[in-house]
Amino acid sequence: MSQVLPDDHETVRTDPVAAEDAVVEIDSFSLWYGDFKALKGVSLTVPRNSVTALIGASGCGKSTLLRSINRMNDLVEGVRTAGRVRYEGEELYGAGVDPVEVRRRVGMVFQKPNPFPKSIHDNVAFGPRLAGRRFDLGAVIERALKDAALWEEVKDKLQGSAFGLSGGQQQRLCIARALATEPQVLLMDEPTSALDPIATDKIERLIAELKGRYTVIIVTHNMQQAGRVSDRTAFMHLGTLVEEGPTDQMFTAPRHELTERYVSGRFG
Amino acid sequence: MTTASARRARGRLFYAAVLTPTLLALAVLAALVLDVLGDSVSWQVVEPAGSGSSFSVAEGFRFTGTWERVVRLELAARGESAEEVDALLANSEERRIFAARNRVELMWAVDGQPLRWVVTSSRDKLISDHALVAGARERKALLAELRPGQHLYLNQWLDGSIFGRNTSRSPLVAGLAPALLGSLWVMALVILIAVPLGAAAAIYLEEYSQDTWAARAIEVNLRNLAGVPSIVYGILGLAVFVRFMRLGPVVLAAALTLALLVVPVVVIAAREAIRAVPDSMRQAAYGLGATKSQVAFRVVLPAALSSIVTGVILAVARAVGETAPLLLIGAAAFVPGLPSSPMSQYTVLPVQIYSWVGENNPEFAHVASAGIVVLLCVLALLYGVAFWLRRKFERRW
Amino acid sequence: MRERLVAVALGAAAWVTVLTTIAVVAVLARETFAFFTDPLVSVVEFFTGDRWTPLFLDKHFGISPLLAGTFLVTAIAMLVGVPLGIASAIYLSEYATPPVRRRVKGVLELLAGIPTVVLGYFALLFVTPWLQTFIPGLKLFNALSAGLVMGFMILPIISSLASDAMISVPNSLREAGYGLGASKLDVVIKIVLPAAFSGIVAAVILAFARAVGETMIVTLAAGQRPILTLDPRETIATMTSFIVQAATGDQPAGSLAARSLYAVASVLFVITLLLNLVSQALVRRFRERYE
Repeated sequence: MSQVLPDDHETVRTDPVAAEDAVVEIDSFSLWYGDFKALKGVSLTVPRNSVTALIGASGCGKSTLLRSINRMNDLVEGVRTAGRVRYEGEELYGAGVDPVEVRRRVGMVFQKPNPFPKSIHDNVAFGPRLAGRRFDLGAVIERALKDAALWEEVKDKLQGSAFGLSGGQQQRLCIARALATEPQVLLMDEPTSALDPIATDKIERLIAELKGRYTVIIVTHNMQQAGRVSDRTAFMHLGTLVEEGPTDQMFTAPRHELTERYVSGRFG
Repeated sequence: MTTASARRARGRLFYAAVLTPTLLALAVLAALVLDVLGDSVSWQVVEPAGSGSSFSVAEGFRFTGTWERVVRLELAARGESAEEVDALLANSEERRIFAARNRVELMWAVDGQPLRWVVTSSRDKLISDHALVAGARERKALLAELRPGQHLYLNQWLDGSIFGRNTSRSPLVAGLAPALLGSLWVMALVILIAVPLGAAAAIYLEEYSQDTWAARAIEVNLRNLAGVPSIVYGILGLAVFVRFMRLGPVVLAAALTLALLVVPVVVIAAREAIRAVPDSMRQAAYGLGATKSQVAFRVVLPAALSSIVTGVILAVARAVGETAPLLLIGAAAFVPGLPSSPMSQYTVLPVQIYSWVGENNPEFAHVASAGIVVLLCVLALLYGVAFWLRRKFERRW
Repeated sequence: MRERLVAVALGAAAWVTVLTTIAVVAVLARETFAFFTDPLVSVVEFFTGDRWTPLFLDKHFGISPLLAGTFLVTAIAMLVGVPLGIASAIYLSEYATPPVRRRVKGVLELLAGIPTVVLGYFALLFVTPWLQTFIPGLKLFNALSAGLVMGFMILPIISSLASDAMISVPNSLREAGYGLGASKLDVVIKIVLPAAFSGIVAAVILAFARAVGETMIVTLAAGQRPILTLDPRETIATMTSFIVQAATGDQPAGSLAARSLYAVASVLFVITLLLNLVSQALVRRFRERYE
């Protein structure tokens, strides 16, 4: 489906998020890989303690948008950005802002589980140790593993290798590792696409619990998953944010024609 | 808690720290090359036994043709008449003796004069020898100290004639001919022995053997062989080829020894080349009814050929520089003549260099560096061809 | 029928390589056995004695001086080659862009391709005089020059193998590190190096084996004087330089002095073999992890 929207497309919003509820505010954000404009003036507000899903066909820019929030795109050669991203009111792309600092305050979980070849304990401790914490790690690690619903399964083998865990457990370990730095926002880039259905189910339940303490932004290819776990959904197409709103409304009564075609499975 | 700027500073420091060794390695390489080149030229104060003249030859810079003209001038300057000179040059034996005892070389332009030819004799008396840089600095003083009959000149030890001359006890006329020919003989035989052997072993391992105990044993063995110090191959060659098979210290023994050293390298390179051939080609051939040997020799081998050749060239480059094994099996330092058959006595380039360095004579050090320059050029040529081949055939599939 | 012949011929070629190893072991074993069964030689003295004078009239056969000399030169070489090699590997795998990487690897391959007789010449006639200008007591033939030059000889080996190990560390691990807010330095030191560790160690051991077996640099620049010392300014002898000395001398073929050459060679062979086996085992373990 290659219908291109006009550059000045106004995102269709339902129940727009109030400013005082916002934890992440993306404001007219554009991104270029060289000459290719991957994100076209996206504006999105993410409310606190919620799960927001980014959906859309391959190549629509949802992963790029996600990675813009923790400035992972900075690691790519030839990337240019315009616009603003605010996190708890602070400008993430302001002059003099250190991307490394940004990444310490926003957590990220990747598509394929990628634990370090170290022990379970050292995996989770990695983030806090980077930030200079040396003492009191035990409590932090326990808390993170509990939040990731993994504590009961590994509490007796913290010194064991991370590779000894199953795929689903490894992904929960990666979640724990990201949570150990106590971020406010957790970014998840297709976190279950490499897992079997049982492991996927466990993680989806986990996400539902996480939103009590964290704000989750999840990119997913799987519309049913978006429907199951998220409170709000944002639909993207070829770099433009087409429509966003409460998940129920997005799936049962989408207001833009493209959204309707995507969620009813006619493309993507 | 480190601040952002401290982190950036540490990052830059780290980058500098990991960049340094690469630059250091480059610097050492450059120092080595410059040192060798510089050492192959020296300032010498010589009391000539010949005419002591130098001749400005107005022709262009040519090695051939000019030699005879210069020799005529030299002999004339020594007092020989025109007929005597003609007789001498017509007699091939006399020519050979003259060439062996004298050295015709092109001189750098000295004191703003045009290019000149100088003839030095092995009976010249060497008064003193100075390194390139030191001598340049002291030139004025050296010129002032010259006594009548002596002259100061810049001896370019590496010149065209060095390729034609035999070894000699006198550094002034020592040449690389036996060493170069010896290396050529040995390498030719090594290629003839090691390439078919290595390629055959590689084909067997890749196309024929299943994953049996025997095949794996051969593989482990190959990898161990690649790590055995080259001197142990020399010991093997000494015991088996020189003594047991009674070949003696001849070209064939050297070739066999080096071939054994080189075979594991060839096998490993050939295996990689064969593995890189896509399986679909083999399937197509089998589908057309080819036998295993036909597939191996008519499909796989031709496809892998360029990579195998590259591997062979690199293996030869390694073998050309090997000294230790050949020292053990009796490569002579001073051979009476040029090798004429696989059963001749011989020397090779690195062994010749080793013996010159070991002579403990500073002039032989100059000849040694001339030899090293030649060796490095040979290697550069081999590596250049190998890299070019590798690049050219890399984008095949 | 023809197929069978071809298969047998090819197999024979492959088995020639095995034959080579067998021949090496047989030759070394036979002469070493003859050496040790000679009444003048005691196995105990060989391994514990501290004088090595097989070519003198008063013969002693304690190998320790040769081991010490080998060890001294090799240690110096490792002190130079390992840090520089690993740093260079980090540069190649984590910082250099592919075209730069190819060119630098090419240059390092050239450095590795320089014949060791040339390196020995360089050590004796360039490095030693230069070092003598500021190191008092440095002999003409000394362990230090040989060790330094040898260090640069093994640098490319370590750099190439270690960078291969680091490059095979999956990028997802680096991403995970960045995602947690690690800086590049953190990612390299805390994630990539530990992950590539066994591959790096394998590279170091391989370089060590190469240094131990190296002949021409030490023969030309370190001397042939078997003494027990750890002073790098001294003239020493290594196992390999002794073998050259014994083989190019005038010892009659069956004599004890000539046989001592084989005994030393046996020790050398065993040491390098063990080191290579360990290195290969480590490489296998590393590959299992990431493939």
